[in-house]
Amino acid sequence: MRRRLSRSKAEVELNLASMLDMAFQLLAFFILTFRPSPIEGQLSLHLPPAVPATNVQAERPDVAEAAEASGTTAKTLEVSVFADAEGDVSSVQVELRVAFQGPADQANLHKLDQKLHEAFAIEGSPFEQIVIRVAPDLRYEELMKVIDVCTRQKTADGQQLRKISFVEMSGTDRAK
Amino acid sequence: MARTSSDLSAAQPNLTPLLDMVFQLITFFMLVINFKDAALDQSLELPVLGSARPLDTKGQEDLLILNIDAKGVLHVYGTPRDPGPYIADEARQEEARLKSKGTPLKPGEELPTMVVIRADKATPFKLLNEVIKTCQNHNYRKFALKAMNRREGS
Repeated sequence: MRRRLSRSKAEVELNLASMLDMAFQLLAFFILTFRPSPIEGQLSLHLPPAVPATNVQAERPDVAEAAEASGTTAKTLEVSVFADAEGDVSSVQVELRVAFQGPADQANLHKLDQKLHEAFAIEGSPFEQIVIRVAPDLRYEELMKVIDVCTRQKTADGQQLRKISFVEMSGTDRAK
Repeated sequence: MARTSSDLSAAQPNLTPLLDMVFQLITFFMLVINFKDAALDQSLELPVLGSARPLDTKGQEDLLILNIDAKGVLHVYGTPRDPGPYIADEARQEEARLKSKGTPLKPGEELPTMVVIRADKATPFKLLNEVIKTCQNHNYRKFALKAMNRREGS
């Protein structure tokens, strides 16, 4: 009885120093690897491969049938973006009509927004996707400004436009 | 004699509060650390777009992150890679994963993976389009184009 009592009274002393060493090492690792990155945004898009435009399908019933069979019958609005020597936007056309000429600043992008809104906002608008014909030298930053305006449009069923395709302009397109 | 015995006794500071504090700090850093950031090339200068929204996949979607510099070179974890073979390999792996889950991809069906394009703002479209077309050829349809909400430092 005496022996058991003396044992229970004996203090259990854990050596915390080694655990503290390990904890400090872990802490040092996390501090050294910690690098808060800036919050990035994004534009989410559904990018199907480019298909023939609607007017081509209307003129060519065989193409229209083939497109229908492959499920690519979405009515397409064509936007052409031209670039200057620096890779900035020089002009934008919506279905061969000039939306604006000059840099893609706030005022000009507003003009483009209005043009697209006119095409999409009318009741029973046939357009479901946009094909952007882009000059090869256009910088990504400039292209994003145009894409941003395109993604603001809504289709006839009230859904945000997400179907956008890109086509690289050929030399003859750029000469137009 | 009594003084001598007190000098000999070892000083034992109570380390428990110190250990508590260190563990709290470790917990904090463990919660805020994000190992996925290693896939992001921080040397790229992304375009600035006010309407760009942060990525919210709710953990449902797999991401294929492509860092493209101003010269159109694809960087994966800091290493330059050839886009064609790399994207083809990723698509093959994704298809094999879907097959092993019992939901094989039908011909022409799109891959559920979202391609996250982080391109430098000076990248010419022709170089960027090569990468996008390669992805489309391998049945990737969902894309996210990265941009900053505002300029860094502002």
